[in-house]
Amino acid sequence: MITAWQSILNLPEHTPHAVVMILVLIISYLFVVLPCSLIMAFMERKLSADLQARVGPNRSGPAGFFQPVSDALKLMQKVDSPSSNRAEAIWLGIAGMALYSTVAVLPLGSLILLVDTDMSVFLPFWGVIVLTFATLMMGLTQDTVSGWLGGLRTSLRGMAGVFPALIAVLCAGLPAGGFSWSHIAAAQSAAPYHWTAFNNPFGAISLIVFLMSGMIVLGVAPLDGAISFSELRGGTAAHLSGPKLGMFRLSRFYGMFLWCVMAVVLFLGGWSIPEGLTEALRDSNSFGVIVLIELFVLLIKTFAVMLLIVMFSQVTPRMRVDQVTDLNWKVLSPFSLISLVGFAFWTAWLHG
Amino acid sequence: MTSSVLSTLAEYFRDVFRGARSLFGSFMTALPYLLNVNSGDLRKEVTEQYPDPVSSKTADDLPPRTRGLLFNDIDRCSACRECEWVCPVHCIEVETQSVPADAKVWVSKFDIDFAKCIFCGLCVEVCQPASLIHTKQFEGSVYDVRDLKKSFGRGPIGEDQRRKWARAQALDEGREDPKRGEWPS
Amino acid sequence: MSLREYLATDFTNWSLGPYHPALPGPMMLRLQLDGEIIVSGETEAGFLHRGLEKALERHSWQSSLTYADRLDPESAIFGELAVCLAAEEIAGIDVPRRAQNIRVILSELTRISSHLGFLARMAKAVGSTPMFHYVLRDRERVLDLFELLTGARFSINFLRLGGVSADVTEGFIERVIDVCELIRIRLKEYNDLFSFNHAFLKRSSWIGVLSSERARALGVTGPNARAAGLSLDVRKSAPYSGYELIDFEIPVGRGEGGTIGDAHDRFVLRLREITQSLEILKQSVDSIPAGQFQSVKISREFTIAPGEAYSRVESPRGTLGCHLVSDGGTRPARVQFKTPSTGHMLTIPELVIGTRVEDISVILLSLDISLAEFDR
Repeated sequence: MITAWQSILNLPEHTPHAVVMILVLIISYLFVVLPCSLIMAFMERKLSADLQARVGPNRSGPAGFFQPVSDALKLMQKVDSPSSNRAEAIWLGIAGMALYSTVAVLPLGSLILLVDTDMSVFLPFWGVIVLTFATLMMGLTQDTVSGWLGGLRTSLRGMAGVFPALIAVLCAGLPAGGFSWSHIAAAQSAAPYHWTAFNNPFGAISLIVFLMSGMIVLGVAPLDGAISFSELRGGTAAHLSGPKLGMFRLSRFYGMFLWCVMAVVLFLGGWSIPEGLTEALRDSNSFGVIVLIELFVLLIKTFAVMLLIVMFSQVTPRMRVDQVTDLNWKVLSPFSLISLVGFAFWTAWLHG
Repeated sequence: MTSSVLSTLAEYFRDVFRGARSLFGSFMTALPYLLNVNSGDLRKEVTEQYPDPVSSKTADDLPPRTRGLLFNDIDRCSACRECEWVCPVHCIEVETQSVPADAKVWVSKFDIDFAKCIFCGLCVEVCQPASLIHTKQFEGSVYDVRDLKKSFGRGPIGEDQRRKWARAQALDEGREDPKRGEWPS
Repeated sequence: MSLREYLATDFTNWSLGPYHPALPGPMMLRLQLDGEIIVSGETEAGFLHRGLEKALERHSWQSSLTYADRLDPESAIFGELAVCLAAEEIAGIDVPRRAQNIRVILSELTRISSHLGFLARMAKAVGSTPMFHYVLRDRERVLDLFELLTGARFSINFLRLGGVSADVTEGFIERVIDVCELIRIRLKEYNDLFSFNHAFLKRSSWIGVLSSERARALGVTGPNARAAGLSLDVRKSAPYSGYELIDFEIPVGRGEGGTIGDAHDRFVLRLREITQSLEILKQSVDSIPAGQFQSVKISREFTIAPGEAYSRVESPRGTLGCHLVSDGGTRPARVQFKTPSTGHMLTIPELVIGTRVEDISVILLSLDISLAEFDR
């Protein structure tokens, strides 16, 4: 993969790998993650406005397109709250590191995977668990009830949600025979009936379990008891303002983006484009075009999944935090285990 | 024992089913808003965009009885002070100055403090000559709160006015020749 | 020390207020929490005290009604109605049938508007923003009606001693019928979207259960008492202003979501009350009697003979009582309101015990308390 990146970026042959990796990380963040988060922020506001019979942002740019930019500019110029808790700053740093370390394993295409080992699918889970733990500690260091309760609730739902999600990942890895992104992508192809989600009935269950447990882990409404704007006013983030609030919101969008990209690659065929097209492009040595087309396909599917999640989250009332964990342990986990068993039998029957 | 296990299982699946069903039900109810399927005005956006484009209501669209900012036509005002008396927040101040016997009443001061006015409409209701009315104007923001005290009065009587009255009286009493004028100073 | 003693935790004190999105208005709610479970709660109010009752003593019969109008901003007419009925009783003024009919129309429209505001607040409490916006959009149509008839949306200042201040305008009745039809259609949409949504049921059923014994003991009236099972309605037990001629039923809580008297029951009951108000409106606008809209026009020297009266009206929150004393002067001698929110505030310390932090909002907003009414 490093060579592919080197050829795309037109770097000289002897560039140390570390430099290439750092460049790739920066490029993926700036050109893929950041624009997608901004676009997603805009689309969420317009979508929710449309559902609520409102107009939504319409002044900043054509049809309000630059609203996230003006939001960011506004937040940048605000002063942060003066009470700086050193412990909190440390945990905030750890949370940021955990979350953004996952940019390294973001599956953005078959040729541009930076880390393609069997563990690359599990790194985001590690990142999310550390994020949850850091939020818990941040909440405990704050002196307010909303921080304290918010931190506790975050830890509850964060730790809970990863269990069904991991089982669902196991389901996706079974037909592929491995967990590296290229294995999983190879097991699916461009046609929808080859996608893991539609291959067999248990795939659909696993996809739904994966998405819902993702909403639980990341705290997306209506399963966001930890933030719960109606009485906690934001939980651990209640006192944030200014650039920190901007980073917090951006990190929430990034979390959702990351989870949806994973869902698309694991269950919905990822970046697969029809075989004939890939062959033709590979023969003509135009790697850049392959990368762009695959990225485009991937992002279309990711946005579709994200918008669907936003729509469902808008119309459903929020659930209480203990009801969220009930949903997780009593509904999602059994269903994910059943689908794992079903998947195992199916795979054995198909290949055995 | 078996029946209670079965019934618990049945209740569990019924719960899950109900949850999924109401999730989809709410979604399907809200979806037409997204797609504007029923393009009658039931599902359209209802935002009144103010002050920009024409979709916003202007003062003319308001109903005739709207209790907007007050206006007093000082030529019709008879300075009966009914409005000053009835106002629940005492925001109207009326002052008159004495005039010759047959001249019209001179309302020198008629101030309404819109910072205090609650737009209840009682003053308009009791105004006999119907000089005090509600306009439909609702945009009354100012930068200084003292600018909210609007004056409708004529101000103190000036020399010009006294001279006019004196000439009118002289004409009545026949002391002056109507054809002789006065050089305006 | 045993392990249990070693790991025991203290209670946390948390005071919400006076401004907090979970509260219905400016009030303090001091809670003791055991983790997420509430152990005890206390309320404190008075942040919205405006001295209304004293202000009423300082203004003539003509202007004091404006203050009564502002007792509760969402149900303005009921404050005026209570004072008018009491004053008309002392003075022996007869209200023409036409004026009574107009009063009933406005009362029921206000009840619909207030209940729609309640639905919006419940939706906001559980986080369903589409429902919130849909309800407020429909409430705007009702407020447009108020503006058409009275000139203002909330503080209508329309009632006078002896009737109303102006007649119905051209086209008002047709607009009322249109709005009733619209609300009837929308109620179905609200039920599809929200009222029996599984997540909403889980948030509000079996929460904040007010039993009928406690309701009676604490003086809870109105929809909260009816949801608890008591069949109390002043419009039936002591009809005023022409309600005795209208045929309607009072809905009582049936506990379909969970149990009788829980938060969901109070929600569904107000939905039913909106339907009942639509019924009453239909009967009222079908046949408005001809006649005057005001029987006496009072001047600034108007006096009422010494005496006192107590009037009761059914406001959207409960029984609103007004004790009016006149000493023969041009101003009321004493006005005292007995507002329904008083009883509701008394239930709060009981209802929050044993619930979780996230239920506070649902319980408080399901009681439909108006701090403006409570503090006067």
